[in-house]
Amino acid sequence: MQVIKVDPKKCTGCHQCELWCGTEIASLAKELAGAIQEEPQPVPRVYVEGKNLALQCRHCVEAPCLDACPNGTMRRDPQTELVYVHEPTCIACWMCVMVCPFGIINPSPTYKVAIKCDRCRNMGYPICAEVCPTQAITVEPRQDYRKVF
Amino acid sequence: MEFIQRKTADRAVNHFLLKAADQEITVAWDRFEGQLPECGFCESGLSCRDCLQGPCISHPFRNQSKLGVCGKDKDILAAQSLLRLVLKGTMSYLDQLNDFADGVQAGSVKPADKKQAEKALNAIAGLMQTGNSEVIDEFPAALVEGWKTAGISPRGIANDIFKASQRLEGGISDMEETLLWSFKTALLGCMADRLQNRLKAAVFGDTSVSELEVNLGILKKDVPTILFYGPVSPLLKQKVAKTAQAKNVSVMGVCTDPLLPPYRFFPVTTYVSQEIPLMTGAVDLIVTGNQFVNPSLAEVARDWKVTVVPADGLKQSSDPDALAQKIVAQAEHAFEMRQNITRDIPMVKESAVMGYSAADVDIKKIVAALDAGKIKGIAILAGSNNVKYTQDEVLVTIAKQFLANDILCISEGEASVSLAKYRLLDPARRDKDCGAGVNELLDALGDNLPSVIDWRLTDFLLALAATGDKALSDYPMCAYFPEANRSAEVTKAMWTVAMGVSTYFWPCLPVTGSAKTQQALEDFCRDKFGASLHVVTQKIDARTKAGLFLKTIDAPATMSGKSWE
Repeated sequence: MQVIKVDPKKCTGCHQCELWCGTEIASLAKELAGAIQEEPQPVPRVYVEGKNLALQCRHCVEAPCLDACPNGTMRRDPQTELVYVHEPTCIACWMCVMVCPFGIINPSPTYKVAIKCDRCRNMGYPICAEVCPTQAITVEPRQDYRKVF
Repeated sequence: MEFIQRKTADRAVNHFLLKAADQEITVAWDRFEGQLPECGFCESGLSCRDCLQGPCISHPFRNQSKLGVCGKDKDILAAQSLLRLVLKGTMSYLDQLNDFADGVQAGSVKPADKKQAEKALNAIAGLMQTGNSEVIDEFPAALVEGWKTAGISPRGIANDIFKASQRLEGGISDMEETLLWSFKTALLGCMADRLQNRLKAAVFGDTSVSELEVNLGILKKDVPTILFYGPVSPLLKQKVAKTAQAKNVSVMGVCTDPLLPPYRFFPVTTYVSQEIPLMTGAVDLIVTGNQFVNPSLAEVARDWKVTVVPADGLKQSSDPDALAQKIVAQAEHAFEMRQNITRDIPMVKESAVMGYSAADVDIKKIVAALDAGKIKGIAILAGSNNVKYTQDEVLVTIAKQFLANDILCISEGEASVSLAKYRLLDPARRDKDCGAGVNELLDALGDNLPSVIDWRLTDFLLALAATGDKALSDYPMCAYFPEANRSAEVTKAMWTVAMGVSTYFWPCLPVTGSAKTQQALEDFCRDKFGASLHVVTQKIDARTKAGLFLKTIDAPATMSGKSWE
């Protein structure tokens, strides 16, 4: 499975990933100048925590959000194994928001849906990895830690 | 990040781009692709690094990080980003003026009209020191009164540049006031530009209409060739041209004033392709100014064994006579040493007529044609190239669109050179471009006028204001900077707006991060000057860009009475 890897040593905290995620994924305008002036404000799927760590969904092997979702809105793509929100059925109960161990699921009060990174599963390559100027964000196969240990 | 766009519309440049790609030589377009994606915060004016607590940003998509450490919000950040550009642009005009005035005062040249030269030097001293310069009297009284009411009438370097630069250091001034400081600074640049021209006319005589040749085909195979890059002191240019003429050395230019009586510096290419002339192998020496000159030239010059002489510098001689002798001698020597380098000169050159002024064109006829409805309006085309757009394409398409729709086109500087490359400044080609109304007017104006008239922007506006009985903002007129890139062009666009001419500027100025600032450039400016600075954020093609002005002209007059609410 291909997942996003973030190298904190390379991350400069420039927030470009947030900016372009907000523009390409979250906005209606799909252009920076238009997205900036959009109401409600677009919500990026990636967050730069502290000074040097971009956080996005880990697509956990045993994902608590999948277990917590009461009506199957949170789903796993059988082919890519990516976890995503099926927005039309979201009832905005925010259970997933509460159980996420990384705090990356965001409630959208305007659209009444949970917002999270789906690793740009409908695009060729995640936008955050594409725009990262230092290549701190990369897409790599998930390591099987059980084998490592 | 991938960026797919045709690089240039100029076939001579395209020939060398293919060659550069083959030989793995990096040019501006390659470096631009390497920079993508450019920082979104800087692009939209939402970043600041004026102090060492930052750099700060105002985050457009998060509810935190909205204010910089010092408390600047997005509106102030955007307005200050614009002010920073305008300050740099104004200083470029002041620097050129200062160099020229210094040389004239030092007695390096004998002025053609001594009395006028002294008058201009006094006005320059006034502008630089006390701010009491009589140059402001050249502007229409109503316009100056409006500037005084808005508090933006320029009052010299100390009162404008120093004070405006301190807005970036701190203090409490709102977005509108910061914008006004930008206009005040830009007007100082306008005055400097006017005085530079006055001094040039006094020292070298009035510039007359001249026939020139443009594009890479004008380079010569069998004589040493010197290229001037960027605005270089007219004194040095004149001395080099004089010495070179005596020794059969050819002197041309890139991004430099082509007309300096009695000499002409044929423009070889435009800004974004400035590395290409060196790649022809037909350039032996370049004299470089500062503005408009890319540092990348040094590397290309090394590869093609071209001698580089900076026009000024800490270690450079300040005596223009000695420097000119040295430059020409070095060019001759370089020509001898470079005999083994192939001179690949494309057979692409066009002729153009440039340097019109109120003395050559009866502006009353333009006003009469406007009043009679023979032409729909006037468009001023200015600005150089930008690597973000296909070189020349937007500018040329817009000009052709305007001419076909009976809009009289005036162009200046680099824009004229770009248009000349496509024969829009060639009188022989005129009938193919222009609508019936413009054709009729151009016939009435003179014997041999090209489709687009090369006329300095401020000179044209002042001549129009002096002739017509209306304010400039009342004419169906606008200025276009469709492929601009330097801060000097931002300054020029700002003073054009302050003079009452609505202006369209591409690429987006760094104000798009703040809807309020962007709106103020429309509404606030219209209230103050009767004209707006349009920052168009939508990605639109060149024809649609031309349509923005055509739509305002063709729009029905607003109805009187109460609005529907």
